[in-house]
Parts: sequence; structure tokens; C-alpha cells
Amino acid sequence: MPPTTLSSATPPRQTVTGVQLMQGIGVAPAQGFWPDAWSQVLRRRAAVAGLVWIGIIAFFAVFAPVIANGHPYVFRAADAAGVETTRYPLLQFLSALDVLLLFIGAVGVPLALLLPVSKRSRRFKWLLCAFFCALVAIVVASVIQSAVGSRDAAPFFRSMRGKGWAPFAATGMGVALTALIVSLLPVAASLPRRLVFIGVGGAVAMACVCLTWNRPRLESFDYHRRVAEGTAQATFAPISFSPQQRFSELSRRKPGTVLPDPVAQPRAGAPVHRFQLGTDAFGADVLSQLLHACRLSISIGLVSTGIALMIGVTMGALMGYFGGWVDLVLFRVVEIFMAVPVLFLLIVAVAVIEPEYRTTYTMMAIIGCFSWTGMARFTRSEFLKLRNQDFVQSARAVGLPLRSVLFKHMLPNGVAPVLVDASFAIAAAITIEAVLSYLGLGPIDQASWGKLLASAVSSEGEFKWWLAVFPGVAIFLTVLSYNLVGESLRDAIDPKLKKARV
Amino acid sequence: MTTYLLRRLLLMIPTLIGITFLVFMLVALSPGGIGAAVQAQAGGSFQANSQVAVEAARLEDRYGLSDPKVIQYLRWLGRISPIKFGQRDQVLPNADLIRPPKRIPEPPLWRWFADALPGAEPGPLVEPAGTQADRSLQYRQLSREYSEARFDAIAANRLLDSRAVAYAREAGIEGAVTEQNRADFDVIDSHIPDKSLPAWADLEAAGKRAVAAYAKAAGLQVRFKAYYDTTPFDEAGVGIIPGVLSLAAPDFGVAYSNSRPVLDQILECLPVTIMLNLVAIPIIYLVAIPSGILAGVRRGSLFDVGLGSVYIALYSFPVVLAGVLCVGFLASKDYANMFPVAGINAQDARSFAFLPGYVAGEFQRGWLLDRMWHIGLPVLCLTYTGFAVLSKQTRAAMLENLNADYVRTAKAKGVAAKDVVFHHVLRNSLLPLITIFVTVFPAMLAGSVIVERIFTIPGMGTLLLQAINNRDLELILANTVMIAVVNLTALLVADVLYALADPRVTYD
Repeated sequence: MPPTTLSSATPPRQTVTGVQLMQGIGVAPAQGFWPDAWSQVLRRRAAVAGLVWIGIIAFFAVFAPVIANGHPYVFRAADAAGVETTRYPLLQFLSALDVLLLFIGAVGVPLALLLPVSKRSRRFKWLLCAFFCALVAIVVASVIQSAVGSRDAAPFFRSMRGKGWAPFAATGMGVALTALIVSLLPVAASLPRRLVFIGVGGAVAMACVCLTWNRPRLESFDYHRRVAEGTAQATFAPISFSPQQRFSELSRRKPGTVLPDPVAQPRAGAPVHRFQLGTDAFGADVLSQLLHACRLSISIGLVSTGIALMIGVTMGALMGYFGGWVDLVLFRVVEIFMAVPVLFLLIVAVAVIEPEYRTTYTMMAIIGCFSWTGMARFTRSEFLKLRNQDFVQSARAVGLPLRSVLFKHMLPNGVAPVLVDASFAIAAAITIEAVLSYLGLGPIDQASWGKLLASAVSSEGEFKWWLAVFPGVAIFLTVLSYNLVGESLRDAIDPKLKKARV
Repeated sequence: MTTYLLRRLLLMIPTLIGITFLVFMLVALSPGGIGAAVQAQAGGSFQANSQVAVEAARLEDRYGLSDPKVIQYLRWLGRISPIKFGQRDQVLPNADLIRPPKRIPEPPLWRWFADALPGAEPGPLVEPAGTQADRSLQYRQLSREYSEARFDAIAANRLLDSRAVAYAREAGIEGAVTEQNRADFDVIDSHIPDKSLPAWADLEAAGKRAVAAYAKAAGLQVRFKAYYDTTPFDEAGVGIIPGVLSLAAPDFGVAYSNSRPVLDQILECLPVTIMLNLVAIPIIYLVAIPSGILAGVRRGSLFDVGLGSVYIALYSFPVVLAGVLCVGFLASKDYANMFPVAGINAQDARSFAFLPGYVAGEFQRGWLLDRMWHIGLPVLCLTYTGFAVLSKQTRAAMLENLNADYVRTAKAKGVAAKDVVFHHVLRNSLLPLITIFVTVFPAMLAGSVIVERIFTIPGMGTLLLQAINNRDLELILANTVMIAVVNLTALLVADVLYALADPRVTYD
């Protein structure tokens, strides 16, 4: 959806005369608004560095489960009868989401990069749409899965236990919900194309869920001990600890601590496991937690900002387009949310949730639902400017439906400042997650940088620097990266600076 | 201007109502609900007629928690609003507010146990005595008797409730037991009592007791109400229409968790937070404006680029991280140990002189220096993020004015470069900085929550976190009101200052 195409020609390399220019010699082809803005951003070294860092975080967000895991890749052990069996615990314990991300990361992204079908940006858009469909389906399926397994499951879910069709039913419900969302959102142009996305995404989701449906619920990590005793052989991941793997006797140890062998006489040649960045208060490996927390950091920023963007843009569009009493009433709502600092509201909203419901998803939803006011105000002022312009008037005169006027005609022309704000909002969401985790209100089901940071100063006032510095640097660099990209984007779309550049 | 001010002030009212309603609903609709933590403290498990259940029933009665949520909110709003309707509150000689006593709840199912609900037998009414002190004693005596009787009635109702649950289970009445293991009396009442069931005896005993307790409590309530109606004490506020409308100071109530008046707690904590912010804001302006001016004047120089990079790095540095690093490296015993870890004054600071000096030949740092030493790190954490925003705005405003025609004219006339920058450009560039206050101030208020938590400073943030941990609705709502009022007032002041500073801006 290219908005107004401001043709800004890149300066010609060799000298050309005015006549040649008029003949079209030496004129670079005009770029669309967004490609132009994007190439401006890529010209900034700081922004590129920020993008690279975000890329690194995204890489670990996808591949952390195979890089840092307490379950070995291969585990060979003899059972009581003396028969040697080979197992693949790491694969066994992957969740559906892990499988999806690994699949997208290892297959989807290279395909999108290399396939010579159409433009690369379009290929990535397709990938993203299919990924979104699969993601929603998998999230719904995993919620159903936990509902099926819970002790006080509803009779309907209870009946699904142990049935072969259960994963298909769960994913099916997820796909149905995705279809509903996609049919409501104006993401892809035509209905057949949307159906293709839903079909592909649903199939991938189905495969991921079915592969992991019988994942053991109880995780026990006795591999290190068994290998040290010499009763088994294992091939470990480069970082051989999981974030949830706790060595209670090794609480708050400094970086480089070696996992002590539980048996008095360790077998010669047994692998040495080192906590490269130390352990936290529960004796869990810091490095492993840092890597696994990348996923939370990436997703909480993007998803909560996405939710905020949807609410804010809709509210702002309605306020700016209608004006009058709609504006008056809706702006009061905005004002209510702005009356106290967002952090206060967030603390109240998160704290009143029972801890067992404080998952990553609820956190994203809450952060999104309380931080949309800025975007609503930006959109409102843009729409106030646009509503009297000729193209909007003509769109209305033609009799286009409101949705089309607002989101197809006006939004692409007024969304730029909102998107710049969004990149700062992502940074803010990451900071907010860190703050909430520091206050003990973070998500309970995920390793998080903020949680590590919170355990740096113990209740007795002891300070362990590795629990503050490593996650702290990670938070800082990530927030800085988003801010740098945001700054560059803002400069790139700033019309005042554009005049100076041409 | 006056009209504008008035309109803004009036618009603050719906905003305040909206935000408190939002917060109220967030807390009230949360699982566990209001005062959940207080109830949990009382023991956690809800055995039907145990002490805990009775205590919970008493709390529920005291705060009216069984009413619909909207009614509860409106009741709170009525207390907080300066315009009051109905009978006026009275003020005891020790400044405690007292209210007319509430009605005693009728025992449910009473038709099963008595032909008619016994009427209130007030007994001899008490005449108010002569002096205020005597009346206060009288009042306390009456109040104690009344609340004991009321408590008995509530406990009896609660017992009846649990017996009714047992009865309904035995009788197999469908839908008579709610999810919270309480009886739904409307459902039970629609059935005919089955006196052959073993549970009937217990139920009847409890019912008779509840009716008796009701009769006693209702009598005492009438007596107490009659005493109250003679207005033995001064009435609170100013009456407009007697018995209907009056004006009175807002009543923030008493905290659930520690039974202290909420207003007292806020008045202890608010000055600390405001002090922190009042120290931090001038520092932000003093650092950011000169650096912004310099960056604007030397646009594109190494200084400009360097400052921009440093500021965006500072802006991206999370306050939590800065706080933890400060506490860890500068304040903790393991490392530098240069600053205190907690509080805003040393324990014995009250005995210090205000200024530093020598006491008995020994240097004493004095109250002021002690305070500065304590708030040094917190203020540092509060200030540094503000630099970037303010300095960037200053620079942008300077650039805009430096390119203006009047500057070129001034330069052409031969005005010294220094005078152009300071007399022409700077004065015009300072205006937008007032509005920046609008973005800086709420962020700082929020920032002080984290800073107060990290440095254990007894301010509004600490109070709020405490209140939330206890689900103490009175405290949370009062905190919200206070923070919103401080915030909205600051924004209003910024707007008014802007109009005062710039003659081109009018709000009429």
C-alpha cells in the first residue's frame, strides 16, 4: 500500500545538463514513500547498528531452544534390563511454538530470501501473513491444550484427553479463530489470497501442534548426573542448561562456576558444564535465561505495540474524521487514560491479576490496552488535517464505505508519524516489561531480563553484579536500538529535513 | 482567561471520575476482588462457620462489599465528592467523622422461622449530655453496644448461610449453592421447608438465632439513630439546603489494611514525592537548556553529534537498571559504599542542626546536607532521562529561529553574534520548553515509583505499591485521585504559563 509517492531523485552521479534531465537522462527512478524513507534509514550507521542488534535478538528468539537447552540432543542410556536405547530429549521437549519458530527461521526465511518469484518485500509480507495465521492458531491450541490438561477441566475438555483427534480439534479451533480475525482485518487484498494464507498457516500450525501434542509435561533434568556417573552418554547443546533448570545448591554463583559432579569420583573425560555468566537466586543459568528471554523481549514489544496501534489508530481515526461530539466524547476517554502516568495504571492492572494468569499473553494485552493514547492523538491530528482534502471528499462522494475511506484512503496518508511513534512505543514496552518484572509483576511462564535484574539485589542487600550487568546491558541495547531506528525513521519522513536534502 | 481556567477545571471532574471508575473496576472485577489480601491474611481457608468466615462477613458488611459494584463505586464517589446529599456527617471532638448508622440487614429466610420479623424495641432513648466530652463518652458507649449487636447479627446471618448450604445440599435443591459456597436464598425460599431432613434442626436453630440477633440489633440501631438525629456534635461542612444538600471536605476513608485514615498516609507520602520532583526538574532544565542551545548554535559540529548520541543513550537507559547499578555499585557494602541505601534522612536527622557545622568539636553534616546525601542517587536516576527530550526540543527551537528572517536582519544590521543568540533567538526559543513540561512531568511521576521502590523512599510510589499488594481499594483510589490531581494541575499550570509567556497565545 504505497502512500503518496514523493519522487525524490537521488543526486545524479555525473554532471548532466538540464536538457538531458528533461529527456530523462541521469534521472534515478522515483521511489515510493516508504522505500525512500527506508533507504534514508539504512544510510544511518547508528540505525543499521540498531537493526543488526535487533536481528541478533530475533535470531536468539528463534533458535534459543536449540542453542541453550538442558535436554541433550542425543541421549544414550541403558535401562534396567541392560538394553541400550537412544533418545532425542531436546526434540521431545520442544513446544509447538518452538517448532513453528524453528521452521519459519530455518525454512521460511531462507526461502523468502532466495525464491525468485516476486519482489523480496512481497515475499516477506506473505511469509509474515502465513506466520501470523499459524501463530494465532498455535497460541489458541496451546491454551486449549493446557485447559485439557488442567485438573478442573470442563467436561468438554476432559473428554478430549487421550483422544487421537484432540490436537486436530484444538488446532482447528485456532484456525477458525484466525480465519475470523483475518476476515475482519484488511491485511491482504483479496479473499482467495487470505484463504491461501489461512490454509498454509493452518497446515503448518496443525503439523507443529500434532508433532508436540504428546510432549511430556514433567521435565526432569538428570542427564548431567547420569553422564557424570558414567551410566549414559549424551551430546549436549552448546549451552547445556535450560532456564527453568534449577540447581538450588548453586544459588547466585559467579560467572564461570563449574557444575560440580554429584558423585565423589567423576569419570575421567566426563564433559564439564560451566555457568558462563553465573547463576541466579534459584541456581538457574544466567546465560541460558538471557538467550531465552530474547523471545519475550521481541514479542512483548511488537505484540503490545501492535495492539496499541490497532486501538489507537481506530480511535484516532474516528475522532479526527467525525470531529464534533464523537471527538469530544472519545477525547475524554483519551484524557482519562492520560490523567495518571501509564505506569500507574499498568501496575494496578497487572497486580490485580492472580499470579497464575500473569502469562506473557496477558502482559502483552494489558500493556497494549493501556498505552494507545499517544497513537490516538497522533492519528487524530493527522486525520483532522486530511478530512477536508479533495481525495477524501471525492472518496466520500463516490459513496465508499466508511471503512474504506478511513483505512484505505486516509490512513496510508496519515500513518507515518504514528509508525515513528510506534518504534518508540516498542522501546517503551520493553522498558515497561523490565519495570514490571522488577516489581515482581512480570510474566511467570517466561525467562525475562527484568526478572534477572530484580534478583541482583537480594533482600539482605547483597549485590551480585552479573545479575545486573548482563541483563541490564541487553535491555539497554535493545531499547537503544529501537530508539535509534525510530530517530532515523523520524528524520527520514520529516518534510522539513527532506527539503534540505533534495 | 478566567473562562478558560474554569472550563479546564470543570473538565477535570469527568476525567477524575473516569479514571477512578476505571481503577475501581480493575480492582473490583479482579479475581479475589476488593480486600482479597486482607481476607487472605485472616487465614485463607474459608471454613463455613469458622472465625475466618465470620471475620470476612464482618469486613463485607463494613465496606458493603456484597452490593453491586456500581453502587459501591457511587458510595465511594459520594464520600469523596465535596457536594453531599442527605443527612450530614458529624464531627467528634477529636475530629473523627461519624455517619448515621446503617440499617441492619434482615435475616434471610426469616419467614421459615418466625411469623413476623420482630419490630425494633429501642428501649429508653438516651438524651445527649451537657458537654461535648460527655457526649463523646455517651456516643462511644452507644456505638460500642450497637456495633457489637450488629456484629452478632452479621455473624448469625453468616452461620445461617452455611447451615442453609448444608440443608440445600441435603434437600437436593438445584442451584441453591453459589460458586463461592454461599447459599442463594431466593432459590431456597421458593421451596417449601422440608422439616424431616436431618439438617433442618441445625438450620432452624441458626434461623431462630439470626432472628433474635436481628431484633436486638435493630433495637439498638433505632436507639443509636435517635441519638445521632439529635445532632449531639457539630455537623461537618456547610449546609446549603438542610437535610438535603451540603458542602463538606472530601472524606478519603480508612485503609483496609492498616486501619489508618487514608488522608494521613497520603499527606505523609505526597510531600516526599513532590520534593524529589521539585529537586529534579530544575536540574533537568539547567542541564538540558544550555546544552541544547549550544548544540543548536553549533549545528553539525562534533559537540552537537556527540551530545545527541550521549543523550539518546541516556534516554534509552532504563531507570530500573540505573537504580540497581547505583544501589549495587555506589551504595552497597560490597562495593563503593559511598551513599546510604534507603530512606531520605538518617535516623537521627531530627536532632541535627539545619546547616552543617561543628558540634562539640566534631563535624556534623546537618539536616540539609544529610537530606542531599540521601536523595542524591534517587534524583540522579530521576533526572537523566529528561535531558534528551528537553535538550532535543531546545535545539530544534533554536534551529527554527536561527533560520528566521528577523535573525538575518539582525545579523545584517551588525548585531554581535552573542546578542543575536541570547537576545533574539533564545527568548523566542524558550517558549516551547514550557509545554515540554507536559511530557516530562508525568514520566517523572511514574519514574519516581520505581526510584522510590529501589531506594526504599517512603513516597507515593511506595504507598501505591503497598496498597496494591494488599488490594486496599480505599488507598488505591485515594492515591489515584491524588496523582491525577497533581498531574492534571501541573499540566494546567504549564498551559497557563505558556499563555502568560507568549502574548500571541490566548485561550479566549
